[in-house]
Amino acid sequence: MTSQDTERLTNIFCTLFNKPDLKLRDDLTARDIPTWDSLNHVNLMMYVEEEFGVRFTTGEVSSMQNVGDLKRLIDAKTTATQAA
Amino acid sequence: MATLTPSRSLPTTKYLDQLEAYVRDRHPRSLAGIVEARLNDPARFEEIAETFMEWAVAVRGEAAIGEMVDSFVRFTTSVNMSQVRYERAGHYENKTFEDCLQSLYTEKDEMDDYLWGVYLTNFLWAHHTEIILFFTERYLKRLDDVQTLIEIAPGHGGWGAYALKHLPQTRLVGYDIAPSSIEIATQIMNAAGFANRARYELKDALNLEVVEANSADAVICNFLIEHLERPEKLMAVINHLLKPGQKAFLTGALTAAQIDHIYEFRYESELVKLAEDNGLRVLETFSGGPRRTLPNAKFLPRSMALIMQKRQNDIY
Repeated sequence: MTSQDTERLTNIFCTLFNKPDLKLRDDLTARDIPTWDSLNHVNLMMYVEEEFGVRFTTGEVSSMQNVGDLKRLIDAKTTATQAA
Repeated sequence: MATLTPSRSLPTTKYLDQLEAYVRDRHPRSLAGIVEARLNDPARFEEIAETFMEWAVAVRGEAAIGEMVDSFVRFTTSVNMSQVRYERAGHYENKTFEDCLQSLYTEKDEMDDYLWGVYLTNFLWAHHTEIILFFTERYLKRLDDVQTLIEIAPGHGGWGAYALKHLPQTRLVGYDIAPSSIEIATQIMNAAGFANRARYELKDALNLEVVEANSADAVICNFLIEHLERPEKLMAVINHLLKPGQKAFLTGALTAAQIDHIYEFRYESELVKLAEDNGLRVLETFSGGPRRTLPNAKFLPRSMALIMQKRQNDIY
């Protein structure tokens, strides 16, 4: 993921979870952010869909474990979109 | 009034504890809702949850607890995604019943996963636990000498089994259009020890020609009505099946999107009106929703339960 895309993703996390100083590590999980519950997770994924112009399946949304998974997923989706 | 068999006290919450440990380890995002459901009324929650888990483990084995939780998480994720898209669109997805039949209800793998996910929502969603308590305390206790209980669209069969657990003299007949439902509901009944008091038929109960009029002492139908294009047909069937004066229990979803929710109910009064227009008197209602909702949500997803009685000898 480019540094520009990482910044876009970081902005979503900071805004949604109201944590302006959040550092987006690949191993960051819901255990590290108490308000990252199942409902906010879906909300997060919908913001990511809008920001990156991609669409996730239920399986992708439910199986995502950490930020690293999310970055890889975005990369795969945006690459596929560009190739199409 | 019927005498209810008291729920036996459960010595442990062994399966519930395993479930919670799995969620904590593998699905930490889902933990808040489960803790919320448990804290709401711990004793009753544990009784309901452990009962449902005992049956599920008897069907699938203890090792499958994780798989069932995975199904629940997939189902809940799907529901939440639908709700977010509903908030943005302002209406449910424009699906037909035939779309849902072909893409879900008759697809075994998808339907099995869906049904086990829904099965766990009976207690892992706090407002659904409240509906089961309403079902038990306000509906089942009203029933008097129920010989035949008909369940329309039993799905996973948990509601029917829970009814038979409290009504030891009753026999249940269930009608469903999904082969997976017949299979899983039968397994749950066997696991609950009620196989000799329950049978299921693959049949569309909304077809009045295939179900016998005035044949039921009680009818239950949970979370079917929002899946229909013409929900009034369901109320008419409940009236058709019930003996005069007998009672039915129905639940439905309001402003709660899901991949196969078709009819968008916005107000509790819509369900009440549908019942009244189809010869049913509404005796009691309950409506509840999740405590945590999307920020600035326009639509609060609710589940509503109605206790209804077939009218007799009256004008209004």
